Amino acid sequence: MERASPPGERAGESEGRSPSVEIDLRDVRRWSHEAMATVYEVYAVHADLTYAAQAAQAAFELLDRLERELSRFLPNSDITRINHLDAGASTRVAPSTLECLGIARHMFDLTGGAFDVSIGTGLASLELDHDESVVRATTRGVRIDLGGIGKGYAVDLMAELLEEWEVPMALVHGGFSSMLALEPPAARPGWPLTLSDPADPSRRLERLTVRQTALGASGVRKRDHIVDPRTGDPVRGRRAAWVTLPRPHGGAAAAVADALTTASMLLGPDEIDALCRNSPGLEAWILDDAGLLHFGEQKSGD
Amino acid sequence: MADEPKKLDRRDVLKGLSTLPALGLFGYAWQRQRTYQQARVTEVAAAAEAPAGLQVINVALLGAGAQGQVLTDSMLRITGLRVRAVCDIWTEYNQKRVVNSLKRFKHEPNAYEDYREMLDKEKELDAVVIATPDFWHAQHTIDCLKAGKHVYCEKEMSNTLEGARRMVAAQRETGKLLQIGHQRRSNPRYRHCYDKILREAHMLGRIVTVYGQWNRGVTPDLGAPDRYVVPQARLTQYGFKDMHQFRNWRWYKGKGGGPIVDLGSHQIDIYGWFLGTNPSHVMASGGNLYYDPKTHEWYDTVMAVYDYDTPLGPAKAYYSTQTTNGSQGYFENFMGDQGTLLISESEVNYAGQLYRDPNAPAWDEWIQKGYVSAPKEQETKAKSDSGAIADVRESVAPDQHTVPVTLRDPYHQPHLQNFFDAVRGKATLNCPAEEAYQTAVAVLKVNDAIEAKAPVAFTPGDFKV
Repeated sequence: MERASPPGERAGESEGRSPSVEIDLRDVRRWSHEAMATVYEVYAVHADLTYAAQAAQAAFELLDRLERELSRFLPNSDITRINHLDAGASTRVAPSTLECLGIARHMFDLTGGAFDVSIGTGLASLELDHDESVVRATTRGVRIDLGGIGKGYAVDLMAELLEEWEVPMALVHGGFSSMLALEPPAARPGWPLTLSDPADPSRRLERLTVRQTALGASGVRKRDHIVDPRTGDPVRGRRAAWVTLPRPHGGAAAAVADALTTASMLLGPDEIDALCRNSPGLEAWILDDAGLLHFGEQKSGD
Repeated sequence: MADEPKKLDRRDVLKGLSTLPALGLFGYAWQRQRTYQQARVTEVAAAAEAPAGLQVINVALLGAGAQGQVLTDSMLRITGLRVRAVCDIWTEYNQKRVVNSLKRFKHEPNAYEDYREMLDKEKELDAVVIATPDFWHAQHTIDCLKAGKHVYCEKEMSNTLEGARRMVAAQRETGKLLQIGHQRRSNPRYRHCYDKILREAHMLGRIVTVYGQWNRGVTPDLGAPDRYVVPQARLTQYGFKDMHQFRNWRWYKGKGGGPIVDLGSHQIDIYGWFLGTNPSHVMASGGNLYYDPKTHEWYDTVMAVYDYDTPLGPAKAYYSTQTTNGSQGYFENFMGDQGTLLISESEVNYAGQLYRDPNAPAWDEWIQKGYVSAPKEQETKAKSDSGAIADVRESVAPDQHTVPVTLRDPYHQPHLQNFFDAVRGKATLNCPAEEAYQTAVAVLKVNDAIEAKAPVAFTPGDFKV
């Protein structure tokens, strides 16, 4: 853990680099699509823009399918059917739904319950049968809300699709809070990104240059929208949290980053520090009234 | 463990990490691998474990594109099915994707490029689910029926009425079941509206006008990953001039019918069903206003007006579809002299709202029977004094009612379930070929009316085979 330097004072950072950033990012094209109550975007650099647009469209169609399965707001989604299960009843779900729930449960274990898609209603009472792609409830009343992980999971699958289409120089995000940077535009070390104070977006806290990296952001600009599943109380005091982690091949890094960033709003600094020290490559930032705290080995920064 | 809020301390985090040494942060990757490996070694026999006494139905999927995948997703949630074969000419991509997803659910389908080879080899098939491009429907359906299979075929029945007629004839000749994929016909909300609200309770009074639409935003033409392009010889063999046409056949004359057929057919089907009759005339305007006509031969924008002579009197129904702005999506709005029903297949938008004309007979009986939700504010008669005619109070909002039926399953599941129930002899088809043929006549004639720039008249005989 280190108390980060004030913005603009990091060693080696120079405002003079910005113009060159602007020039070779001109080739980046962007496609947008509304889903999961936010706007998703695909940024890509590709010689054939029609082809890249078709790849982005295919990614958005995948996203729409995932929303139909994962949204708790749709009466006929997998998640809604799970939320209506009586004790002992089960329902068959898409493999992707089950995989997302599996990651969510793993994150529950990893964060000691700080990340809980059931918000204290009993995630452990759901049996996930990966062989039959079935979810079984051992008690009734479990309420799943994948709001803290579903966006990242969708971003992971969209990125896999773009790679299948051989559009490797791309960045995908859902509402800017779940982001996955794939290969950067040619001749660049990574995709240039910033972390800013949610209370004052013009106040830049960090500049990152990343490739094959998942990023998650969480904040309380929208008042009290994160509830501590362990106490039921809304989170106060901490204003924002960010997480970055490297993307392993075939892994769901954006889903994990999404979950960990929500957990980082709740965990104490010692706990976040322990997580980062035990998880090579994981970096985290939290912003509270005292300023910005950084955890993990600095890799992503310029 | 989570029945009561759990207090977390650092030991929990550290314990979480230490008890999961093999998992760590990237345990999900391990889990993915495990799921995949287990799926590969599991016995096939367990695939279609059906409740005792339920006949297992052996099914093939013919056409594994976007719609075939939607139907597969639904079939995977229906008990008592064993998917034995998947046939698609895009062996490099869609065929492989669907086979792999079926294997994750422990089906072991054989993969085919040629449906005739599939019919030759798969002797145990009971039924075939067809989701190929429209211009293949007639031949695929007829050959499957003649091979002794029951068929569920996606709408539109065919891109030509001649093809659709041959499908009806083949169904009659073989005596096999032929269900057409107008899935709203099995949607519990639509069925409730038809059976209870319209037929039994006549809550709308006499329906005089109908309005419906499907608006869709601009999308790029469908593409394909470069590495999975279908070889030209195979495309030619199956009637496609190139990969673009293969992916975007819906826009081409001789292959599909354009948005009025792809989208409008679902809803114009409901017009005829709910009004209880077929149209007598249609006039329509359409054009290619936006997309490149070289790759979009059909109309991207269509507006059509039908005349109906319903049992209760004449009615007019307007339908529009456009593909350049998705605002307000899709719905059907039935307007009678006593009420309005706004309905759509979507569980989110226009999922079933009822408006009662203030002068219409009260709906108390239907509210008590649960046919329609109770209004938010109850009638304002004086409850405390039976001699008074009204209670003076703060202003009351007009009644608002909804259709109290929700679909919990994927949209196509009830219609497929109805088909498989019928295969088992436990149901009658909700959209048999003769019914769907009538919709095909009403819909395909819209394109004729646009081309003729003049109204097209129907005779009752036009709807019969």
